[in-house]
Amino acid sequence: MLLEVFLVLGTLLIYFLFSKKDEETLPFKDGWWGRGQKPVTKEDSSIRPFKVETAEEELSDLFRRLDQARFTEPLENSFFHYGTNSVHLRKVVSYWKNQFNWKKQVEVLNNYPQFKTKIQGIDIHFVHVKPPCLPEGQAAKPLLMVHGWPGSFYEFYKIIPLLTDPASHGLGDEHIFEVICPSIPGYGFSEAPHKKDFNSVSAASVFYELMLRLGFSEFYTQGGDCGWLICTNLAQIAPSHVKGLHLNMVLVTKLGLSHLLSILLGRYFPGLFGFQDEDVRRMFPFLKKWLHKILSEFGYAHIQTTKPDTVGCGLNDSPVGLAAYILEKFSSWTDMEFQNLEDGGLERKFSLDDLLTNIMIYWVSGCIVSSMRFYKENLQKGIGTQKHDKLTVQVPTGIAAFPNEILHIPQAWAKKKYTNIVSFHFMPRGGHFAAFEEPELLAKDILQFVDKVEKEQLWKKKGE
Amino acid sequence: MWHSQQLEPGVLFQDIMLLEVFLVLGTLLIYFLFSKKDEETLPFKDGWWGRGQKPVTKEDSSIRPFKVETAEEELSDLFRRLDQARFTEPLENSFFHYGTNSVHLRKVVSYWKNQFNWKKQVEVLNNYPQFKTKIQGIDIHFVHVKPPCLPEGQAAKPLLMVHGWPGSFYEFYKIIPLLTDPASHGLGDEHIFEVICPSIPGYGFSEAPHKKDFNSVSAASVFYELMLRLGFSEFYTQGGDCGWLICTNLAQIAPSHVKGLHLNMVLVTKLGLSHLLSILLGRYFPGLFGFQDEDVRRMFPFLKKWLHKILSEFGYAHIQTTKPDTVGCGLNDSPVGLAAYILEKFSSWTDMEFQNLEDGGLERKFSLDDLLTNIMIYWVSGCIVSSMRFYKENLQKGIGTQKHDKLTVQVPTGIAAFPNEILHIPQAWAKKKYTNIVSFHFMPRGGHFAAFEEPELLAKDILQFVDKVEKEQLWKKKGE
Repeated sequence: MLLEVFLVLGTLLIYFLFSKKDEETLPFKDGWWGRGQKPVTKEDSSIRPFKVETAEEELSDLFRRLDQARFTEPLENSFFHYGTNSVHLRKVVSYWKNQFNWKKQVEVLNNYPQFKTKIQGIDIHFVHVKPPCLPEGQAAKPLLMVHGWPGSFYEFYKIIPLLTDPASHGLGDEHIFEVICPSIPGYGFSEAPHKKDFNSVSAASVFYELMLRLGFSEFYTQGGDCGWLICTNLAQIAPSHVKGLHLNMVLVTKLGLSHLLSILLGRYFPGLFGFQDEDVRRMFPFLKKWLHKILSEFGYAHIQTTKPDTVGCGLNDSPVGLAAYILEKFSSWTDMEFQNLEDGGLERKFSLDDLLTNIMIYWVSGCIVSSMRFYKENLQKGIGTQKHDKLTVQVPTGIAAFPNEILHIPQAWAKKKYTNIVSFHFMPRGGHFAAFEEPELLAKDILQFVDKVEKEQLWKKKGE
Repeated sequence: MWHSQQLEPGVLFQDIMLLEVFLVLGTLLIYFLFSKKDEETLPFKDGWWGRGQKPVTKEDSSIRPFKVETAEEELSDLFRRLDQARFTEPLENSFFHYGTNSVHLRKVVSYWKNQFNWKKQVEVLNNYPQFKTKIQGIDIHFVHVKPPCLPEGQAAKPLLMVHGWPGSFYEFYKIIPLLTDPASHGLGDEHIFEVICPSIPGYGFSEAPHKKDFNSVSAASVFYELMLRLGFSEFYTQGGDCGWLICTNLAQIAPSHVKGLHLNMVLVTKLGLSHLLSILLGRYFPGLFGFQDEDVRRMFPFLKKWLHKILSEFGYAHIQTTKPDTVGCGLNDSPVGLAAYILEKFSSWTDMEFQNLEDGGLERKFSLDDLLTNIMIYWVSGCIVSSMRFYKENLQKGIGTQKHDKLTVQVPTGIAAFPNEILHIPQAWAKKKYTNIVSFHFMPRGGHFAAFEEPELLAKDILQFVDKVEKEQLWKKKGE
């Protein structure tokens, strides 16, 4: 009898320990990323207004480089199959030199209030837009939106007004946000870490400090690409502060037997594996939509994870090279079929002004190398090996699954990691750069998600 | 349909005999067909790689002398770019772990601008006779060095040496005299070579193909035509990196013309159960898997020496195989970027430990003049993108998927296995592909760029290999 009791208790204990482990919070990651030794004096925590500036010298230097660009003729009939087609790139460069107006774009960038503040030794840049007007008695909901690579805070410029002033855009006025879009350290106008090991948990910790410094004790977060990972980590670090986590991209790094089985059989027995028809449509044939795609599209991730300083060097010196490298992603990741077009379909969903503004942020800040280092800091030990990979997310989560996202993760897989998925929608169109390409679709999904969370006060019941 | 008939015992016996005969013949036939398949030659790959449509007129097959030239404008353009280079500060204490360290790169660039003498290096390049000739629609550049003197009655042995990426014909400049004039270098005079070092189409001064699908078999076919055009019906070949693959293909295309194949690098692309077993158990039972102690030393621990190394060092191959025009674009526009990208390989692939040094160990085995000369060849010819496309043309369908991957090599083969080569392939594995390995030596030192780094060691190994082949007239008995 005693033995049985012990066995049962033991089992319960083990079960309890194991399930608790998953729900463990991710430790906040403190650090000091400035140059040299951390000073003894207390860090300046003031929040300083920031404006993007440009000078004649910057432009004439750029033009000189554009003028001296050395292109290589593409192979006949190669379209975008070998990467960015240089014949089309020449046209882009010509527009860049002769029509693109950087001074005007800088004014566009400065339309939204920007700031800088020192956190953990480095200057963090962020956009902070408050609602132009709030109905009586209503408070703005803070929303942290995090960009990815090779994007920037600029990706959010079209969606910001839909969230800070939804009423003017036919989206109602029940939920009005004040939006904070920081630049990931090492990207754009945020200072790059000077020390090794600045990974997604570091970024999440820095942004967590930022939100606290701005006086927000509860807030929503939204992200895709690197932003997906950073916001996920933030939800794991401070679940009591994150009311809701909205993602336009999800990846899972813990793949087990059930995943393997669903890959092999999911096409034939979707119901058995929790797949919806649209999941099947987006995931299969598996070889083509996953394996072949990973091999053909992730070379950049492979080299950035291992030799960022090497591959980034020339890109910080040749604006044309930088443009080729970045534009390729805005082509393939918006629609894989664009590779079959002579112009890579670049202007089908984006304006050249917008594409070049994003590229200019990388160019004028000289951040391409540090942006690439983020891959190494996160992936060098391998995919799925970090502590945060093993922990789940209990914060209410909303997922907007865009059809042309690089890889489609079905809800059946996502829910093993995100245990509290409140909404999961198959978006009708759009790719990887959701906020940039389909701001209205994304804004609507964020709004319905927040609506659910607020109505059901879901942030109070995490994972129960 | 089997009939349950009652047969007379005599007839049944005859039937069974016939069946046995058929079975034996059938088996022999199948065996014959299958083994013949492996020993099948690789078809010559004809093609036309020029711009637009192939003209109806016969191609000009003249061999024209070529000299590398430079002009003031070329140098001032280069210096302007070096002056305006924008560097990114490395992370503290990162050495070469994140790739080429920009602090050290600045020093290299300073040397490049202020001390490196390109005009002088051009003269060095022009020390050896160079030529160009049009083959399959594109201009093929090659160095052709004849022996300064030959003993009475002795003929020079033609030797085709093929470079790789990110190398060039220049890698052979130190080894050439050891092979064309071995006597003056204490290497005897039994075997004297005339050396032909072409530039792979898309590299250096060879024209780049204008059409898709120019792969290693195309290059081998072009070089085969080159050797025939030069009047050689029998010749030796030597290579590493891309040169390994091209020379292997050439031996598969024209085994009756290739007297011997010498390689300083080997890779195998057909991995089966036996390989897996030898990976798992080879460290503990080396003899069982044909491993020598040195094989074990170089291959294990497997995760570190193979898997981790492939992941950490092959990012360049991954992106070049999939998006060469993207990654190469900036490198053709920024000489500093080009130098960073190429120098990283001359560091890691010479010695993986060099990544722990602030200067990447770059000048421990090479002079800066030599490193920069190789880089300048990529710069002045503007060939970085086309050089990278070669990876896509060869690997885009996957590793080990091509016809040549499935065929063996029966030509007498000599392998010089250098200790710091990126991946070590033991003889036990190599011989499944190279069925006629005449010599396999563990070299005492040296890495991937063998001819560049250890010309004497490599020359000696080539000579002993050729000696074996010649003495035993091995090229006459292929694979028997």
